[in-house]
Amino acid sequence: MVDALVLRDVRKSYGQREAVHGVSLTVKEGEVFGLIGHNGAGKTTMLRMISTLLKITSGTIEVYGKDVAKEPDAVRELISYLPEDAGAYKDMTGRGYLTFMANFFASKADKDEMIAKGIELADLGERIDSKIDTYSKGMKRRLLIARAIMTSPKLAILDEVTSGLDVINAYEIREVIRQIAQSGVTIVMSSHNMFEVDMVCDRVGMVDQGNLIELGTPEELKQKYGKDTLEEVFVTAVKGA
Amino acid sequence: MSDLTNIIKKEMKELLTPGSVASVLIMVILFACLGGIIGEEVEKNTAVPVMGIANFEGQDVDTVSGEWNAYDALRDIYLKAGVKEADLDKYIIKMDKDNLYSDLASSDASFALVLDDDFKKDVESEKQGVIEQYYIYQPAGMLSGTVSATVANYMVSQLNSDLSSMLIGSEEEKEYIKFLTTPINGATTYTYVNGEPNKDVTPSDISNKLTGQTMFIPMIIMIIIMMVGSIVISSMGSEKENKTLETLLTLPIKRTTIVTGKIIAAAAVGLIFGLAYMLGMSFYLDSLTSVSAAASQGVDLSKLGLVLGPTDYLLVMVSMFLAITCALGICMILGAFAKNYKSAQTMTLPLSILAIIPMFITMFSGWYSSNIALKIVLFIIPFSHPMMAMDALMNNDVTLVLAGIAYMAVFALVAIFITVKLYSSDILITGLGQNKYVEMLKGLGKKKKHTE
Repeated sequence: MVDALVLRDVRKSYGQREAVHGVSLTVKEGEVFGLIGHNGAGKTTMLRMISTLLKITSGTIEVYGKDVAKEPDAVRELISYLPEDAGAYKDMTGRGYLTFMANFFASKADKDEMIAKGIELADLGERIDSKIDTYSKGMKRRLLIARAIMTSPKLAILDEVTSGLDVINAYEIREVIRQIAQSGVTIVMSSHNMFEVDMVCDRVGMVDQGNLIELGTPEELKQKYGKDTLEEVFVTAVKGA
Repeated sequence: MSDLTNIIKKEMKELLTPGSVASVLIMVILFACLGGIIGEEVEKNTAVPVMGIANFEGQDVDTVSGEWNAYDALRDIYLKAGVKEADLDKYIIKMDKDNLYSDLASSDASFALVLDDDFKKDVESEKQGVIEQYYIYQPAGMLSGTVSATVANYMVSQLNSDLSSMLIGSEEEKEYIKFLTTPINGATTYTYVNGEPNKDVTPSDISNKLTGQTMFIPMIIMIIIMMVGSIVISSMGSEKENKTLETLLTLPIKRTTIVTGKIIAAAAVGLIFGLAYMLGMSFYLDSLTSVSAAASQGVDLSKLGLVLGPTDYLLVMVSMFLAITCALGICMILGAFAKNYKSAQTMTLPLSILAIIPMFITMFSGWYSSNIALKIVLFIIPFSHPMMAMDALMNNDVTLVLAGIAYMAVFALVAIFITVKLYSSDILITGLGQNKYVEMLKGLGKKKKHTE
């Protein structure tokens, strides 16, 4: 299976403070990979480096063989990044937003197809033609996920995708992620919701204070620590780290 | 659709909202209304004045040239000023000395002249006759009070010279008296403009004629720069607050395309709003400058060589374009540090100050009257150059304009270079708080404290 994402001894420093300490991991094509950790553990910094938003202090990151530091434009062709608490242009309608984004990716013929796919993924019904300003948080998140996926990226990077959503909306978003994963898109997502990661991810990386402290499938990790839930595994791993 | 067009379209849609367009339109209408009101006031004060006169009956003064009456003398003054005989009673209102207040208050007259009871007797016995001026104070603005007093004094002086000439008698004597009172004629003036002497023109005549331009151009440039600046910084703040910038920066588009798109859209919208303000402001300033312009109607700027040719206008336009580019460059840099929309609003302050300083200096002093310190300040601030360009070109000082253009070109290039660098750095995402240099500085501070 092809390596979708490879991190080799990746470090990120802000002045004298190191936020990410030599992380190495590999994500295979078609995998749903979850990064879990508490707030400030370094998950978002890692995702931002993968997304070409932050410069890597040392080490390398490759997306489908393309070096993030050396070929950022080529990497941006392959990825789709959804930041935590991301917003959309409030004065646009849902359809207008998807059209604006599709214009960067597709020719005229492909564009219509891409927008239709986005509208289907967002599943907002008639509200797709309402202004985004009038959407609930759940509706906005559906629209943004649709935007991230409609372009058929090879790697989707989703940061805290269900944070702040109610139970129903979070459940629906997880269903959407499952559908996307089934279509063959590689997904790297971060979360501090262990239940969600257990449900959705094929493999998990646990991050604490910028270190990758555990890596494996949820089942492997539960067996290794003799715990029933990923949450218990995480607490034990962090305390032992 | 190209990526650049897509970004420009999006930015313009965001900036030209019904709210922003309505606020600009309201400002334009307000300026136009204010201009209309001031214009009306100015017209009122520059029109033929309405005055009252009292206690003139039975006070015909006997002179060597015949009988003289103040009311008749005033009628002659008004007739010479072009008022029709049939309308004279509308302008010179006969009033009753005992009911002067009510007569004055109920009429359109701005003042009344009242002859003293002994006026005739005094003048005939070669004593000064007394004419008193009466006004009613009304808080009617800065123009009205000054204008009515000036007109009243003018009328008294006209009556004085009229009665004086009647008292003197023969033309020869009049000429002789005129010589005795004013043996020197210093009325002829010459003003050198670009080295050429111009007869019967004073520097203040030229300044009055150019008032519109010297006030208008700096104000408009200041407004456009502040408008464009505010738009760019707010747009950046808004993108950061909504986290749309992070998404935008991970799309397969070049950073330079994003920067260029934002700059072009902001410049276009800024120019549209600026032109709208310019229209409103022109109504307002026209009314303010009409008085001074009227005072210098005899001055022909083209005869003085104070007009611009096509090349001059081209230079002014290049200067304006570069000033706007410099403003946008500064704003993109400031906008990169804005955390959100609110903080972006406060970041427009440095730009506003930079635009206001040269505006005031060029309006009240100008390049040529400034001392060396002010000249340095003016030259360093890029927005000064288009404000000074027209004056400099009229003064045949092309070197100053070209030096300004060269300086602004370098300034704009440096600003855009820094902007592109910022867009490729972590600062745009993490802000200054997590910048490595800031961290290093903090570290140095701590070390120093520790060693102490």
